[in-house]
Amino acid sequence: MNVIHNAVAIMAPFLLAAIGGLFTELTGMLNIALEGLMLIGAFASVVFASATGSLFLGVALGIISSVLVAYLFAFVSLRLKANIFISGLATNLLASGLTVVLAFKLFGSKGVIHFPGAPVLPLVSVPALERIPILGDLFFGHNILVYLGWICLVLAAVVIYKTPFGLRIRATGHDSSTVESLGLNPQSYQLKAILVSGFTCGAAGSMLTLNLQAFVPNITAGRGWIALVVIYLGNKTPLGILIASFVFGFAISISNYAQGFMEIPADFILAFPYIITVVAMIGYSAVRHYRSQKLAMRRDR
Amino acid sequence: MTITLSVAVLLAIVLIFLLSDDPGRTIYYFFAGPFINRYYLGNLLNSAIPLVFAGLGIAVAFSSSAFNLGGEGQVYAGALVTAAVCLALPDTNGFIGGIAAVLAGVITGAVLAGISGYFKMKWNTDLLISSFLISAAVVLIVNFLITGPLDDPASSLLATPKIAEQYRLLRIFKPSKLNISIVFSIVAAIAVYTFMYHTHRGYEMRICGLNPDFARYGGVNVNTYLVLPMILSGALHGLGGGLAVTGTHYMALKEFTFGVGWNGIAVALIAKNHPLGVIPAALFFAYLDAGAKAAMLHSDVTFEIAAIIQSVIFYLVTAQAIFSFVKYRQRVS
Amino acid sequence: MPSVDMREICKYYPESGVKANDYVDLSVKKTEIHAIVGENGAGKTTLMNILYGLERADSGRICLDGEEVVIRNPRDAVRLGIGMVHQHFKLIRPFTIAENVTLAMEQRKYGVLLDRREAWKATEKVIADFGFDLDPGAKIADLTAGQMQQVEIVKILYRHADVLILDEPTSVLAEQQIRTLFDTLKNLTCLGKTIIIISHKLDEVMSIADRVTVMRKGKSTAVRNTDEVDDKELSRLMIGKGITYGFKRDASVPGEPVLALYNVSVAERTGHRPLLDNVSFSVRAGEIVGLTGVAGNGLEELEEVVNGLRKVDSGRIEHRGLDVTNASSYFLREQGMAYVPSDRLRRGSSLSSSVLENLIITSRRSFLNRGFFRRKAMEKFGREILKHYSIDTDLYVPMGTLSGGSIQKIILSRELSAQSDFIMFSDPTWGLDVASAEYIYSRILECRRSRAAILLISNDLDEVLGLSDRLMVMHRGKVVGVFENDGTLSKETIGEYILGLRNDFKGDAGNDGQATMGRGDGNGGGIDDNVVGGGSSRDCSDLSPE
Repeated sequence: MNVIHNAVAIMAPFLLAAIGGLFTELTGMLNIALEGLMLIGAFASVVFASATGSLFLGVALGIISSVLVAYLFAFVSLRLKANIFISGLATNLLASGLTVVLAFKLFGSKGVIHFPGAPVLPLVSVPALERIPILGDLFFGHNILVYLGWICLVLAAVVIYKTPFGLRIRATGHDSSTVESLGLNPQSYQLKAILVSGFTCGAAGSMLTLNLQAFVPNITAGRGWIALVVIYLGNKTPLGILIASFVFGFAISISNYAQGFMEIPADFILAFPYIITVVAMIGYSAVRHYRSQKLAMRRDR
Repeated sequence: MTITLSVAVLLAIVLIFLLSDDPGRTIYYFFAGPFINRYYLGNLLNSAIPLVFAGLGIAVAFSSSAFNLGGEGQVYAGALVTAAVCLALPDTNGFIGGIAAVLAGVITGAVLAGISGYFKMKWNTDLLISSFLISAAVVLIVNFLITGPLDDPASSLLATPKIAEQYRLLRIFKPSKLNISIVFSIVAAIAVYTFMYHTHRGYEMRICGLNPDFARYGGVNVNTYLVLPMILSGALHGLGGGLAVTGTHYMALKEFTFGVGWNGIAVALIAKNHPLGVIPAALFFAYLDAGAKAAMLHSDVTFEIAAIIQSVIFYLVTAQAIFSFVKYRQRVS
Repeated sequence: MPSVDMREICKYYPESGVKANDYVDLSVKKTEIHAIVGENGAGKTTLMNILYGLERADSGRICLDGEEVVIRNPRDAVRLGIGMVHQHFKLIRPFTIAENVTLAMEQRKYGVLLDRREAWKATEKVIADFGFDLDPGAKIADLTAGQMQQVEIVKILYRHADVLILDEPTSVLAEQQIRTLFDTLKNLTCLGKTIIIISHKLDEVMSIADRVTVMRKGKSTAVRNTDEVDDKELSRLMIGKGITYGFKRDASVPGEPVLALYNVSVAERTGHRPLLDNVSFSVRAGEIVGLTGVAGNGLEELEEVVNGLRKVDSGRIEHRGLDVTNASSYFLREQGMAYVPSDRLRRGSSLSSSVLENLIITSRRSFLNRGFFRRKAMEKFGREILKHYSIDTDLYVPMGTLSGGSIQKIILSRELSAQSDFIMFSDPTWGLDVASAEYIYSRILECRRSRAAILLISNDLDEVLGLSDRLMVMHRGKVVGVFENDGTLSKETIGEYILGLRNDFKGDAGNDGQATMGRGDGNGGGIDDNVVGGGSSRDCSDLSPE
């Protein structure tokens, strides 16, 4: 079952980015900068990994770079009160410009840059267990960043539902004025949420480049946007995100597999989540509309 | 605005000093490059055209509190449909066929944006997200059409075949690609300005956007104006896309309008949503691109420094544009 | 020694130019229930927001138990043992009661994790200690308004507050829930808590509070023990003495009815009480009909109904005999009905548009020539208005840069320039300085001289008494009193109607229009008639628009 195995590998970056995006979403912010933050992490991690020869330092510095850009994004959005959608767009534009400019400056190329010296992402290989059908494909034989994704997911679930920080994050998203009236600063939770998204996006990005041992301009190719859609489809819960990103990973994996003997254009597969989401969104608003109308009518009587 | 522009220029100089081994040469080509020959100058002007249309589209929408973030898809789909209609009518009269083709592009853009506006009016679906999602899906579908069914097998480009000669707009500044659609863009800006500031419908539309309570009080049917600005916005985007095919490229290439939709937002914000202000704002954005391109060709920096400068402009203009968005936020929350 | 002592508190809002608190004093004794009463906009909520740290005073001192304190934000207030229940509940609806109660002061285990069981227990303990009846595990979304309010109080008690502030706590409650709340509050004082309650409902204040501080127009005007004062005196203190304006209403003989309402009712979406309950009246040419009452009693709804901004559920509205019930605002304007709204910054003007664009909203189509605006004619029209009404500004200045007085003048001039036969003014001088107010009064009287029918809706009793030929009071969506303003009507009398102490039409409302309008023996229900003080609450049958 190579398809499942690949699906898990493909979904890992969505999953990680979506976990960070979940935090910002829960504080009531639409974080479209996921794409750009991932791209920064992707570029920085492979460059630093290659320069230091250390996988750990590469990933760590990749994450730190992404967090720094996230801080810039947070500063403009929260402190300067720029519209978060536009400042998110700006962050994405900045990331795609900055990575190419730096790549060109450092390596003299705007195309694919190979880092043969970069450390390889080690696989967690347990040959005996890998042969278990499905479960083996799901859980074994992946690179260590995939496992980082699993760990982050569990951690996120714990933080969101089992800690005071998570409670306050969720409260901020529901009604920031309530949080404020209790003497807390809702903006500080929004800032922390954006920094968390910087962290996970950095990790997600490093997975993309370290896997290839290369950087490709705009290597994220819309994965940040898909992560956003995953959050919506996953109904803003960690478990939902897991399922939604697996569905995505599986769909892409199947289409890669099917490409061998039949034509399913990849663009169609990629468009599918957007279409589903927009239809779901319109449907949801219709339900909400009619429900409130019915309620109003009942009350009138 | 002066601050934003000076920061942009300053940032360009700083970036060049950081990145270039020959900053003097790079700075010369970055700032003067677009003017050193007819080819560069013409292409600078030509690349401003789609930005004018996208900027106008955004200005119409934003000044009426309609948040169209699907410009990217509307331009791209408008371009593809225009190319497809041209290709489907290889032998029609150039004038009639050309108009029909561009009109089809306009309608495509209008419908795509209008869907979001319609559901906003009907069920209060979030305009911002729905317009973005539809556009994101449309971009991918158009990619598929260009690389799949409509791909020109005779060419190595990921593009449709070239449209017939009679549909190609007149080039007016050879050897550059500048064509008469620049006149159309100026006419469009004036028309949009006239509509918004010199007709009662435009007035009502703007008042609805600025203060729906006041509009309702003045007896304006606010619901009508939830859809109209989106339709106009989409139509302008589609027009920009269609003219890019018939004027500049003569075909639809994969992702050839990439970024126009997003930059249109920045252009409109710099112009403070004023239709006539969109023209200089678009020229400024095009100039940054052209300067970066010239610097790339003649010196040792890459074109993408334009993206960095543009992103910083983005940050600055939104931070400045706080007030036009406060209302939106309040409505959302 | 007082538990809470606020001295010479001042708070000025430069944007609106309102002095919300002007050297306000408040002294609350330990374990008492202290009420702060006053009309809307008297500055009660501002004062309490300052005490709770949501706003900072420009000057003044706050002492708790004799010690001066600085309260910069709610966190400081909570630390000092002050808690506040806001008028609109601050609760997270999808969370449980225990989660809401412990939010921001969570029970933890292992230092970092939420301890749900402890949160549940701690909440349960507060609930039991203070005799509430709530399930800590219940979701807020499933609770009634009364229960939500209890959660708010539990939330405060969990934070060990000794001083509880309640802002209009009864506004969202049904009768039975109010009783429960009052029992709770009395119980809390027995347990050593001090309670400050903001209200404008005098009957409730009299039944619950030990002492009352009265606020009027940003000042604290009196402090009384409730057992030494009656509600009539309180209402007098709240409403204040009349102000004499520098204008004179000359005699005017009203003509034919211009606008008439017959049994107009509007149901409320969320509750049982209708927003407008069988309202009938008429306004005749050349007269000013004043309509007053406390906010939340139907004035806002009536304002919207008459302008076509709100649909009526039953009843009929006629303009010069033409049925205009539920007609659009546009149609009503075409019919010659002008309207100066109370919310002049949101409804009356578009602050980011120019003065000219604000001036043409009602006459926009008259400037059209083949679909385009005749810019010259428009500018001429604008300039003439500015000149005629001596407004000192330019046509292309953004409206938002002008002062409140100028904005109101522009709105007024726009509405008056339409030469309408019916004009509704709603709170036309709210927040304005004396000179601007005088100007607006003179314009309103000018309209009366030119035989327009004028409906004046206002919370300002001096204004209504000074301008109106006839005066109506609304309470809970009903017209409770109709008076001929012959110069002998006193503010005290009106005040009692406004506050719901008297009602000329009790029990009859809702039967039919005649009953609402035509109680011949007007002076109401057993309250000593002599207080009416000459203002004849008259036979209303001839007011009926028939």
